[in-house]
Amino acid sequence: MNRTVQTCTLRRMAFAVALAATVAATAGCGGVEMEADYPGADYGAYGDYPPDAYIATTEPVYFNGYASYWYGGRWYYQNGGRWNHYDREPAGLYQRRMQGAQRRRTYESHPAGRSTGRGGRGGGRSGGHR
Amino acid sequence: MMTSCRMGIVAALLLGAGATVGCGGGSVNNPPAATAAAASAGDADATAGLMEHHRHHHHGGVTLFIAMSLDTLGVSPDQQAAVERLRTDLHARMEPARAAEQSLVATLADGVATGTIDAAKVDAALAQLTAAAAALHDASAEALNQLHDVLTPPQRAALVDKVEAHWAVWRLANAEEGERAKPEGGRLATLATDLGLTADQVDKIRATLAQGMPRLDPKEIATHLGAFGDAFRNEKFDARTLKTASGANAHLVGWGGAHMAHFIEAVNPVLNPDQRTMLAERLREHASHNPSAEANP
Repeated sequence: MNRTVQTCTLRRMAFAVALAATVAATAGCGGVEMEADYPGADYGAYGDYPPDAYIATTEPVYFNGYASYWYGGRWYYQNGGRWNHYDREPAGLYQRRMQGAQRRRTYESHPAGRSTGRGGRGGGRSGGHR
Repeated sequence: MMTSCRMGIVAALLLGAGATVGCGGGSVNNPPAATAAAASAGDADATAGLMEHHRHHHHGGVTLFIAMSLDTLGVSPDQQAAVERLRTDLHARMEPARAAEQSLVATLADGVATGTIDAAKVDAALAQLTAAAAALHDASAEALNQLHDVLTPPQRAALVDKVEAHWAVWRLANAEEGERAKPEGGRLATLATDLGLTADQVDKIRATLAQGMPRLDPKEIATHLGAFGDAFRNEKFDARTLKTASGANAHLVGWGGAHMAHFIEAVNPVLNPDQRTMLAERLREHASHNPSAEANP
């Protein structure tokens, strides 16, 4: 085997390794789905998923066909009535997160806030959970 | 030849390395474990504000949950005008029920201010509120059908998730005192903080609340929400086929109003003049505003 053939064989092997790495990394960007705890009928006792009040008042990011919510350092989405999260943050969601917090809507200033002047009356917005 | 092959090897290695590093979150941005306790002050305010809203504004029932879900659904600029028009339309359809609820809360506020709540007037307002709620679904069916047409499948699913989340929060906000251990932020605990109620006042209120408490059948609401969710996620949807809607709205709104009245009637006798003035003011504030109907900021 001459030197040129050896080098080209080495080049092909390097391409194969790079291609495998690219496929693996791209698959990883899709995120590994991990199932989160589901609350069942026990309202108020939250497990490893965003609280109902957060879902009700936060604008999701649509990714991969699901409404996704950034909460507690993870992206969550519902599929088939159960909450799931990405074990690794997909690149698309990472980019959206870097663009700014998810918008939240605040409907009322709660009583304790009124007396101290905190919060607005109705409407309003606050940043998403980070 | 040698140079081109070497460049090829370098390019291939860089491609592989670049693909690995380029994966946004990857190992560089490994997120921490999720904990509900990590909620920020802004989150706490938004949550408390939603609880406060669901304690005092029942008038639209499930239709109100749907309209509120549109506030943070996340729609494209192309959809924005149509969705806002439908949101406004839904609130307009809820107006008769809102006016009836306004009358109920104003009656309660007057009673708290004077020390005597007019029970007959409260009952009449409750009947009007329940009747208006029962008519709500038929009045808003066309708007719901148009909304379904405007939204994409993921948005429809997200709306159903949000409606169910509102129902869960509504139940938490209106859980009957004594039904089980109340979480912090319950109706009585919130009022105690707001008005500076003493422990003795709280005990007296709790004892009165246990008597004659109206009962909610959550299964009726849950059954309707299940039917709505299944139907709305489908490609074809017709709100007029949802036969459980009017009953669920009447039950949810009627119970919400009755429970609010029962709560205020239990609180009323134990208040001192300052607390009376403060509570009447709070109630009038709720009667006079409709925050969920305001334009989306």
